[in-house]
This record gives sequence, structure tokens and C-alpha cells, in this order.
Amino acid sequence: MKDEPSERLDPRARTLWRIVGALNALPLLAAGAAGSWALLMFVDVSFFFGVLPALVAVALLLLMVVVAPTLRWRRWRYEIREDEVDLQRGILWIARTLVPLARIQHVDTRSGPLQRRFGLATVVFYTAAGANQIPELSAPVAARVRDRIAELTKDGLDV
Amino acid sequence: MNSEGPGGARNESQDNGPREDQLDESTHRLHPAAMLIGALKTARQWVGVLVLPGGALLVNQGFSVRTIFLIIAGLIVVAALAAVWGFLSWRATSYVVSGGAFHLRQGVIQKSERTIPLDHVQSVDTVQGVVQRIFGVVEVRVETAGGGTNEPDASLSALSRAAAGTLRREIETSRHKPTDADGEESGPSVVRRLTTRDLLIAGATSGQIGIAVSLVAVVSQFFDDLFSNEFVERVVTTFAPRSVTAVLLLVVVAGLFAWLLAIGGTVLAHAGFTLARDGDYLYIRRGLLERREATIPLSRIQAVRVVEGILRQPFGLAALRVESAGYGEDAGVSTILFPLLPRQEVEGFLRAAAPEFAGEPSLERLPRRALRRYVFRAMLATIPLVFVVSAIAVIGLFSGFTAPGCGDAGCAAEDFSWLAFEIPAALLLVALLVFAALYGWLQYRDAGWAISDSRLFARSRLLSRATAIAPRRRLQSRSIVSSPFQRRLRLATLQARVASGGGGAEVRIVDLDAPAAGTLADRLGPDPAP
Repeated sequence: MKDEPSERLDPRARTLWRIVGALNALPLLAAGAAGSWALLMFVDVSFFFGVLPALVAVALLLLMVVVAPTLRWRRWRYEIREDEVDLQRGILWIARTLVPLARIQHVDTRSGPLQRRFGLATVVFYTAAGANQIPELSAPVAARVRDRIAELTKDGLDV
Repeated sequence: MNSEGPGGARNESQDNGPREDQLDESTHRLHPAAMLIGALKTARQWVGVLVLPGGALLVNQGFSVRTIFLIIAGLIVVAALAAVWGFLSWRATSYVVSGGAFHLRQGVIQKSERTIPLDHVQSVDTVQGVVQRIFGVVEVRVETAGGGTNEPDASLSALSRAAAGTLRREIETSRHKPTDADGEESGPSVVRRLTTRDLLIAGATSGQIGIAVSLVAVVSQFFDDLFSNEFVERVVTTFAPRSVTAVLLLVVVAGLFAWLLAIGGTVLAHAGFTLARDGDYLYIRRGLLERREATIPLSRIQAVRVVEGILRQPFGLAALRVESAGYGEDAGVSTILFPLLPRQEVEGFLRAAAPEFAGEPSLERLPRRALRRYVFRAMLATIPLVFVVSAIAVIGLFSGFTAPGCGDAGCAAEDFSWLAFEIPAALLLVALLVFAALYGWLQYRDAGWAISDSRLFARSRLLSRATAIAPRRRLQSRSIVSSPFQRRLRLATLQARVASGGGGAEVRIVDLDAPAAGTLADRLGPDPAP
């Protein structure tokens, strides 16, 4: 196995992921707060047990906003070699994926509204057995990666 | 009439297609039976639509002469309209193979012409439903690569056998090199035919018993509702004095019934299963009532799976499946290549049918330290069951549930009565865990892999033991995934994806030695290390 892939995602990805994490954690936080409130108001439990749901929700929020994006960004790497695309990702479950360029059918870049605010884009490439993506590259880099994959794919599509 | 999917293979207005005026020269119509088939289809849709208002009318008005007359009149109108529509759509449908493409025109009001370049045609299948059999015609389905969905890309509801054969030849010969169009008219040669004996064995050993059992459960529920409780009780008490025996008896009878059902299902689907090969094409013919014929181009086969079901492995029997690109038959992503053959004959069979996949290399085993992960995982899967059993035991303990054999008056040894309940529960738990551990060990023992002639062989067990065979050049991607627990033991899982049906299928080897997994991924790459 070759060394880990050389390129990282755009550093702004972390900020974006923190925002997305916070948005995703909002319902959790609300549920935790509601749970604590209900426990303290209606059930005769000690104060510690009463605030436990809220504390758990806050801990999850911190995990999703502070810890996970950092770890995720640190792990995420990619490289476009002359014959393969090499991806590495995952926080606990680490996945290393190799996709031969000759199998790639087409490449897209796409960016959501939030991504556009940060000037980020995702490169998605499709094989006959599904899609893979490289998320949160700065828009010009994403365009370059897309064109490079398309360029390299042109010769030697044999499936 | 046709919803236009976003398939790349079809363009409605292609320039090299025949002009309007030429079209009449060599265009073909469907067999007139198509009128009836179209009419039936339309009538079925309309009746479906009319059932609700009709039912409402009945409920409102009761069975008066007027409502019955209305309903009959409605049915007649529907039948008449359907017949007219069937005729019109038959008249509007025509097809032709010309200019390197298959053209299908259809649509009564909204006319459409579909053009499928012959290069894109994946397979030409024929299906013969019951109606088609009455008229001795077949339905022809033309599928393209990347079709993937249930809907065929083009479907001709009724063609005579001769016309279907001509169409198939026209499509296939122009796909072949033009030279072998008029070579030896060899035709497909049969590779293997399923004997009646094997058909019955296949049914008896198919894993479909599970499905059949649930079906039986539904039916028995229905009977429960149908018959009064006393009746059932009387039947049960006459047949078995003790309720335990009665339950056992019922289970055995239901199981037997399910088994027969499974055999019946297999017979229906696979009667007369014949695999033939003609050059680069495989032809499958099967079915008792509905005869199906399918074509699989060898070049489209991505992987072969040799599946040894739990009931089949002891007898040295296996089934063969193929993963094939853009050819997801039914809802499944893989197709049966042959339903039952002896394990030893698999290699010879594959050499005759699909030589790219033939081979029987000796497999590498997983490292010894993977065993505990296999056992652990299998035991982890029993957690819900363990939970249920313990919960029942605990409830039994606290609710003072009397042990079997103790009457309401209580047992003689009142203080120890709970033991009679707890001990079986504990034994059950132990048995469950031992069974799970054994299963994990079996999974570990059966797991193995090999690379031979640029092909990946991967064997694993999920109830049935399956060996996947995938050529290196068919692998769409390889992934190495490792959990924290796996990393601690220097293990990793290799996942190789091949195209299949619409999405894709995966070949996995769980808990390889981590460095070996890396090497394996490299060797399966486009530029293998020497």
C-alpha cells in the first residue's frame, strides 16, 4: 500500500462542518433541555439527574461542533495519481478507497448554498458501481480536480 | 404512454434513423394478440380506478336493479373502450432495426419514437406470460446498459416466436462482427439443463423456507380469524391431549407446508432451466407457467458467486449467481446463472459457460487473531435475543409465575419453584451463546481469499457459504476499512465493488491482516505490483 494520500481538504471545511454540526445538534439540544425541564418540573429526582439530559445534549453538541470536524479534517486526504484516485477518510472507522481512473464514467462538482458562502465545492465521481466524493475543496481547486480526473479518464475507459 | 427516463442510451430523435417514408418498408407490427393484451392491461387499470366509486355506489344504494345495471353497463363501457384502445395502440406500435439502431414507435395520442443504438443494447429477453402462451406468442424486452430499473427500455408485448427470433438475430448479428453473420449457423449449444430430480432437490433445499414460513404464518392467522376458538380448541384437543404436543404438531405441519410451498415456488420459477451458450452470449430459459428467456452477454458479467446454502452444502451442492452490469432482473441485483449443481462440477461448468470465471485456487485463510473477532461479532448479534430471554426470566421471577408442572395451588416445594423456570432460561441463554460462538467459528473457518490469473476469489459465510469470483479489471473500486478494534489487532476489511444492476455489489473480506489487505488492494489495482 502506498503512503497516505498527499492532499488535504480546504481548511475552511472545518468551519463549515462546525456550522453544519451545530445546526444538526439543535434538535438534540432542544430535546435535552426539554427532557431536563420535564424531569425537574414533574418528576421528583435529584438536581443532578434532572440536568443529565441537558448535559448529555451539550456534550454531544461539543463533540459535533468542536471535536468531530477537527478529527475529520485531519483524517481526510485525497490524491489523484496517474492511474487511480486515492481517498482516506473516517474518524473511528478509517476507510481508504482506491478508484481506478479507467473506471470513472463522469465527474461533477457541486456546491450547496452554505458551501458557496465559503467558496467551497464537492467533487463527485461516478463509477458503474456507485459514486465517490471529495468534499469541501475550494471552488477553483475543485474545478481543477474535476478537469484533471476528466482528462485522465478520457483515455482507457474499458467497461 | 411511456414515461421518458433519463437514460443516456435513448434519444428520441436521432438523425441516422429512418425517415418517415422509409419506415414503412421494413417496419414490423406486433402480433394481433397484442390488441387483447393491451386491452386487458388498460381494462385492469380502469377497473382499478372504478372500484372505489363502484363500491361507494353499492354501499349507498344497496343491491337494487338500478345499481347492478349501472355496474354492468360500466363494465361493458370499460371493456369496449379498452378494446378500442387496444386496437389503436396495436396500430400505432411498430418497430424496425435499421441504421444500426432499434426503433420503436408507439403511442396513440402522444406519439413517441424511441431509438436505441444497437451498441447500447444489453440484452434481448423474452417472457411468456399465461395470456401470451394461449396465443403462442412471446413478449420481447430490449434492455440497455444502465437501464437498471424494473421497467424495460423497450417492450414488445406480443411477437410470434419466429418474429422474436428474427428480431433477436437482427439485433445480435449487427452487434457481432459482420463476418460471423453468415458463418456456420451453429446456434446456441446447451451447456447444462436442470433435470427434474435436481429441480425438486433445488426446491427442497432452497433457503426460501423462511419466506414460506412467514407466508404460512399469515395464512394461519387468517384461519385463526376464520374459525371460532372453540372449534380450533376442539380440533387441537382431539388430536393432542397435551397442548405442548399440539403446538409441536402445528409447528411441524406448518413447516412441512412451508417446505412444499418452497418446492412449488422453485418448480414454478426454474422448471426446465436451460443454460445455453453461443459465442459471447449466454441464454437462460426457465419457468413452468411463465416461460422466461434471458440473454446475458459474457462481456457484461462482472462477478460470479458460487452459493452453497446451508441445506445444500452437506450434499455438496451449490447454486451459481452472476452480477451483471445494467442487468438487474426483477428487483434483484443479481441473476441466477444455474440453480443447482454439484460443487465439484462448478469449475467445469464455468469453463464451458463463462471461462473467465473458472478456477479453483486454494484459498488463503485469515490470521488466527481474527477468530475472536468473528466469534465476538456472532455473539454480539445475539444480544437482542439474550435480552428478550433474560427479560422473560426476570418477569417470570418477579411475577411469581409458577413453573410448568406447578398448579395454581402451588408446588410441594414452593420455595424452589422459581428454579424450575430460571434453569431452562439460563440453559437457553448458554445454548444460544454457544451456538453463536460456533457460528462465528464457522464463519472464520470458511472465510478465505485468493488472487489467481488476475481474479479475486473471496469466500465468506452468511448462513450460506458464498465464493465470489471477480476479475481484477471488473473492480470499480477497492476500500480498506478498519475500526478501532480492528486496528488494535492489526486487522482490516477489504471491500471491492463491482457493477451490478443499477447500483453495485460488494465483495468483502472481513478481518484480513492489515498489511496483507494493503498489498491485496495494490495487487487488485490497475497497475499491479510485480
